[in-house]
Amino acid sequence: MMRERSVEEVARSRSFPRAGRLALAVLAAFLADGAGAGETSPSGKTVRFNRDVRPILSDKCFQCHGPDATQRKGKLRLDTAHDATSPAASGDPAIIPGDAENSELILRATTDDADAKMPPAKVGKPLTPEETKILETWIAEGAEYEGHWAFLPPERPETPQVSRPEWVRNPIDAFILHRLDGEGLAPSPEADRPTLIRRLSLDLIGLPPTIAEVDAFLADDRPGAYERLVDRLLDSPHYGERWGRVWLDAARYADSDGYEKDKPRFVHFYRDWVVGAFNRDLPYDRFIVEQLAGDLLPSPTQDQVVATGFLRNSMINEEGGVDPEQFRVEAMFDRMDAVGKAVLGLTIQCAQCHTHKYDPITHEDYYRMFAFLNSVDEAAVAVYTPEELHRREEILKGVAAIEEGLRKENPDWADRMRSWEESVRDPGPSWSVVRTDVDANNGSGQKHTLLEDGSLLASGYAPTLHTAQFTALQPVASVSAVRLELLNDPSLPLSGPGRSTKGLLALTEFHVEAAPADKPNERKEVAIAWATADVNPPEAELEPIFDDKSKRRRVTGPIAFAIDRKDETAWGIDAGPGRRNVPRKAVFTFDKPVSFPSGVVLTFKLTQRHGGWNSDDNQNNNFGRFRFSVAEAPDAQADPIPVAVREALAVAPEARTAVLAAAVFGHFRTTVPEWAEANERIEALWKQHPEGASQLVLRERPRETHRLERGDFLKPAEPVQPGFPAFLNPPPTSEAAPTRLTFAEWLVDRKAPTTARAAVNRVWQSYFGTGLTSTSEDLGSQCETPSHPELLDWLAVEFMDRGWSLKTLHRLIVESNAYRQASRATPELLAKDPFNRLLARGARVRADAEVVRDVMLAAGGLLDPTIGGPSVNPPAPAFLFQPPSSYGPKAWPESAGSARYRRALYTFRYRSIPYPMLQAFDAPNGDFACVRRARSNTPLQALALLNEPMALDAARSLATLVLKEGGSTEADRLVYAFRRCLARKPTAQEVEVLSTLLRKQAERFASGEADPAKLSGVAGESAAEHASWTVVARVLLNLDETITKE
Amino acid sequence: MNCQDRLHRGHDPLDVSRRWFLGQCGVGLGAMAFRELLAADARAGSPTASGPMAVKAPHFPPKVKRVIFLFMAGGPSHLEMFDSKPQLAKFDGTLPPAELLKGYRAAFINPDAKLLGPKFEFGRHGQSGTELSELLPHLARVVDDVTVVKGMSTDAFNHAPGQIMMSTGSMIFGRPSLGAWTCYGLGSEANDLPGFVVFSTGKKGPSGGNSNWGSGFLPTVYQGVQFRTGGDPVLYLSNPEGVDRQVQRDSLDAIHSLDAQRLEVMGDPEIATRINSYETAFQMQMSAPDVMDLSREPQHVLDMYGVEPGKGSFAGTCLLARRLLERGVRFVEIFHEAWDQHGNLTADLKNNCGETDQACAALVQDLKQRGMLEDTLVVWGGEFGRTPMVQGGSDGRDHHPNAFTMWMAGGGLKPGISHGETDDLGFSVARDKVHVHDLNATILHLLGFDHTRLNYRFQGRDFRLTDVHGRVVNEILA
Repeated sequence: MMRERSVEEVARSRSFPRAGRLALAVLAAFLADGAGAGETSPSGKTVRFNRDVRPILSDKCFQCHGPDATQRKGKLRLDTAHDATSPAASGDPAIIPGDAENSELILRATTDDADAKMPPAKVGKPLTPEETKILETWIAEGAEYEGHWAFLPPERPETPQVSRPEWVRNPIDAFILHRLDGEGLAPSPEADRPTLIRRLSLDLIGLPPTIAEVDAFLADDRPGAYERLVDRLLDSPHYGERWGRVWLDAARYADSDGYEKDKPRFVHFYRDWVVGAFNRDLPYDRFIVEQLAGDLLPSPTQDQVVATGFLRNSMINEEGGVDPEQFRVEAMFDRMDAVGKAVLGLTIQCAQCHTHKYDPITHEDYYRMFAFLNSVDEAAVAVYTPEELHRREEILKGVAAIEEGLRKENPDWADRMRSWEESVRDPGPSWSVVRTDVDANNGSGQKHTLLEDGSLLASGYAPTLHTAQFTALQPVASVSAVRLELLNDPSLPLSGPGRSTKGLLALTEFHVEAAPADKPNERKEVAIAWATADVNPPEAELEPIFDDKSKRRRVTGPIAFAIDRKDETAWGIDAGPGRRNVPRKAVFTFDKPVSFPSGVVLTFKLTQRHGGWNSDDNQNNNFGRFRFSVAEAPDAQADPIPVAVREALAVAPEARTAVLAAAVFGHFRTTVPEWAEANERIEALWKQHPEGASQLVLRERPRETHRLERGDFLKPAEPVQPGFPAFLNPPPTSEAAPTRLTFAEWLVDRKAPTTARAAVNRVWQSYFGTGLTSTSEDLGSQCETPSHPELLDWLAVEFMDRGWSLKTLHRLIVESNAYRQASRATPELLAKDPFNRLLARGARVRADAEVVRDVMLAAGGLLDPTIGGPSVNPPAPAFLFQPPSSYGPKAWPESAGSARYRRALYTFRYRSIPYPMLQAFDAPNGDFACVRRARSNTPLQALALLNEPMALDAARSLATLVLKEGGSTEADRLVYAFRRCLARKPTAQEVEVLSTLLRKQAERFASGEADPAKLSGVAGESAAEHASWTVVARVLLNLDETITKE
Repeated sequence: MNCQDRLHRGHDPLDVSRRWFLGQCGVGLGAMAFRELLAADARAGSPTASGPMAVKAPHFPPKVKRVIFLFMAGGPSHLEMFDSKPQLAKFDGTLPPAELLKGYRAAFINPDAKLLGPKFEFGRHGQSGTELSELLPHLARVVDDVTVVKGMSTDAFNHAPGQIMMSTGSMIFGRPSLGAWTCYGLGSEANDLPGFVVFSTGKKGPSGGNSNWGSGFLPTVYQGVQFRTGGDPVLYLSNPEGVDRQVQRDSLDAIHSLDAQRLEVMGDPEIATRINSYETAFQMQMSAPDVMDLSREPQHVLDMYGVEPGKGSFAGTCLLARRLLERGVRFVEIFHEAWDQHGNLTADLKNNCGETDQACAALVQDLKQRGMLEDTLVVWGGEFGRTPMVQGGSDGRDHHPNAFTMWMAGGGLKPGISHGETDDLGFSVARDKVHVHDLNATILHLLGFDHTRLNYRFQGRDFRLTDVHGRVVNEILA
């Protein structure tokens, strides 16, 4: 019964877009007739390069005769007029303008000689007779080249004349109707009001309208009712949630790292920034600039720094044994891909390995753009909600006020501080930094890098219970003490100095071994007499995240805990929120000095056993950046003065800035015994400091960029400077060296040819199911020819002229008549335009995964509309998060109460374990930038909507609402339930089906054939009624129309 | 599972849904709607009625029609199981030659790690005299039906990228998996089961996660569907609490009826597809538990595989794989993540082989007895091999991409041969290297495809499983 169709046939039929093929056929027919009313260019030519010729050359010829010199055959290049008309290797020019007959291109295309035939048969892309005809005509007409349309800045085209000017509400309609006129089609009538309000609600806020909202719209018979509805929806805070989600696909947002460990990350501040940016209609050009370079703006706000999280949404690989640089470069490629697809609307990935085969982007171009993004550190900074920011300010003000009070009450404070400064002038013995090996440490899978200053930086896999060992590269003559410095680094969580999520660490035990330089294997442990540190927190139990399942009481505390030979105790460095991420130091003083005639080679062992049991989670409590030094002087101690204060003290008092002066006073006051009360008040204030959250962001750091051969990070070629590809808008004229900010501003320049087009095309795609060009991620020369090229350009220009305002763009589209059409597909329309690219009818499109879920929750009356905050964990099958379904055990702390029913935007997204219902409905998992989702229709979707526990919750809740608020008669109740799901009222036939179902179920439940309490979750007499209404509600929630924008 | 691309270049969703509907939808719709859809199909230039999963003919007559991929995730040691290296034993405890390590990157071990001799004895088996270690007594019984490939190599030496490389032919996430490509090319003969079924039976899930069976930019219908051996085999397969089969049937009838009414009004073929999806889901609710019910297998078959309570789920899963293939499923993949022996090599391998060897051999034997082996392909292997050098003491090996072993069995292959050879230490391939791309090209060849022509247009160019690489390993083909 099923006929087989070969893959080749399928592939052939796909070589052109449907609409394109149709146009081609029409054009070929027109050319064959030699007459007709086809579109002609201003020059009177029938064939136009960009519209008709380039798609053929690009698909069939450019692979060997295009921009990529390394792939070029026969020294022939067909993508520029100059090359195509110059003699090729064969000696003849491929194209002789005006003379198709003698042009080698046509001779080769039409020859019967298999050896000479082009394209070669083995490529499997023969020219069709229609295509050959087009090439012939084009050459005969003079072979005029045009630049690829999308690489020329859009210009506002004239609004065309149409058959029915009264149908034109705004120029969008003129462009649509003009094309319909040409095709002999008429637009569909306007959809009815219930359809319109449901369509608008789903499109603009991603939620269905309530019955009251529908009734209000139906009752509003004043002029402008529709426009008022649009205003209300655009003003709704849910607008940002709906459209923010679309951008989050492009931003490959997820709540976890990806790869094997796929650890949770906490980046919801970025997600909320996106939602907020849409809600306040941040102009799209600024929206892009802040995401690429918000940190480089003058005095950037927290929000502007958070925005750079866009680039940090790349995956992170921390599986054991990785080379962190390899995956940093992978992340860079991912960022380039995201900028290409999301901002430029170009697929630039190809140029990562070689010059692009189809588009004029060279291998060097790619790395010049790469260089803009490469000079960064991968930072994670503390971020605060507005309330927390306010609290933080209050605390800082409070501290300043108390300190000011101390100075007022003690007029001699300056003299006292000066004498204190004198007393602490001596920073202690002189220390020599010990540089060590890093390789001996490989056994744990964590990588260490020896930095220039002799410090070691940990990265990659983070074991939770391990000992790291480092042996000195050079011997020292004699040593009496070892200093361990803990340092900040932008690559560490909250800058470190540790690798825990708070940037902290714990030192379980510290051991030193010494060997004579001439007998390095004869290592002996050195006895440590005592240890000192500049921070000695009181004993505190470990946080639950560090549970090692040993049931022992494990604690952190003063430095003595690092030399007590107890596995349960460790030196901790937590000085509380707001003050914990600072450099620290400890000194371990030997029982007696160690020396050997050949010199002493030291080995340091850092036992770090205060992490949790699960190294596949964020449970490490490891060192981040640290440095060893040694001193010969006996009785060395840790300098009690914090590093920042020591640095301030090094500046002469009169030269100190306010910040430095405050640092000195802030430490000095803690040394004055009679100020204890004030000091305690300040400590109490700091205790109220908010914990805040962390956000992955960018921080500028110069880094040399090289072109990478074949994109291999191990094969750096010549260094490249940041720069702009020549085929797009001209580079900025400023003389200053361009920065990432320059790059961002160049991307959204008024002359940028693809940026605005890509943005409006994506918006159009969201409304109509397909973009004006269907290849939203690629406006390059391989893209589909737009269905309405002039409309695309008009929208792009209008978008920019109206200040890149997305809300304005939305208003323009939804207020057009084109948008308001009914979506019924008559047999005639289906025949003429099966894919609705001409828009003689409205779009009928299944809603996105998140909207499907939100519709269920809203119709069932369960939706919790809270906006923003950490992601939530609605119910999900527990086994998914445990091996062997997951690689490692993952936390899925199921949310309680209404948080289970937050919008799907807030569902926690593990990249490796996508939330099943959202995955079934084609939500991308954030592995890479997605600017166009699939829209599948599968049995697994049916199973999810029928059987997922949340679906039953929604059905039960809807049944309860029906019985409570749906009126007293069955008819009223059916209408109520129906309208909650579909906005419109049911037809008599539909009522009949539902009513029959309801009665049959009621009978079965009444007869005891089925258990009503189990289904309805309601006990007692009303159980049967609840249960039969639950069945009806479940049916309504499963209708195709319920999950479709009609 | 990802950003998909069914809209691209003529692959329109309406098109897909219409075909699906016409090919598989057995529901009674209004004649008008049906005529419309038929007419639309004819206009679209397609002579056939077929859904995205309908059976399609490959480029040339295939040798095999279905695949079971036994993915031994973690990196099984070729040196302990397949690749006998007496010289490695001889040089145990010494440093490898410096020139061997030039430019070599290891995940964990130091550059100065010493060689570690093989931990198990090897012997020759079957008429073919194929060498296998004592760890694989069961495979030894069927070794004359097996083609051993000893010259495998890959590009990645970390798990997630290595697995994604093996599964999708690229280390970059987002490409379609081998199973997805297979279903894209061939469709599936199973109407009420997914065409591509995935199990995970190890101690952990695979490092590469869901992307190992993703559809990348292919339409999402081609992605693997995870089955479980316990509980619901497919997520949300069971009716919710209180919904019995009758309620489910009545509900589906009502949904069907209301959707059909809407189809009459709106004329959108997507509604017909939706009706069909619900019917298929209903069918699957019966067929999936049925296929998963091993109690229907006779005792001697259970014994052959070694299915017994408490012996791990791998054996039972191999048997399930055979049952799924019998019902027309195109591609079954079993991930057994257990082979990452940085330490405890000897005991872990004994244990792993104890859990898997018998079932793997039984699968080959069972398929052969049923006459299925001649048009089925069984593939066994992991993402890379392990170093000849020791890691951590004397009982562990690190990741090693340069050389490793896989085996295959089934139609179109020369059975009972070992192809390729590594050097004396098992470090590099000395003869007949088979890169992952070559393996993929060969598998596609067996399925009837020219790997350079099984393409999908995405982001402005034709993508394929083997990218710009791949050579069919003709030497192992019958």
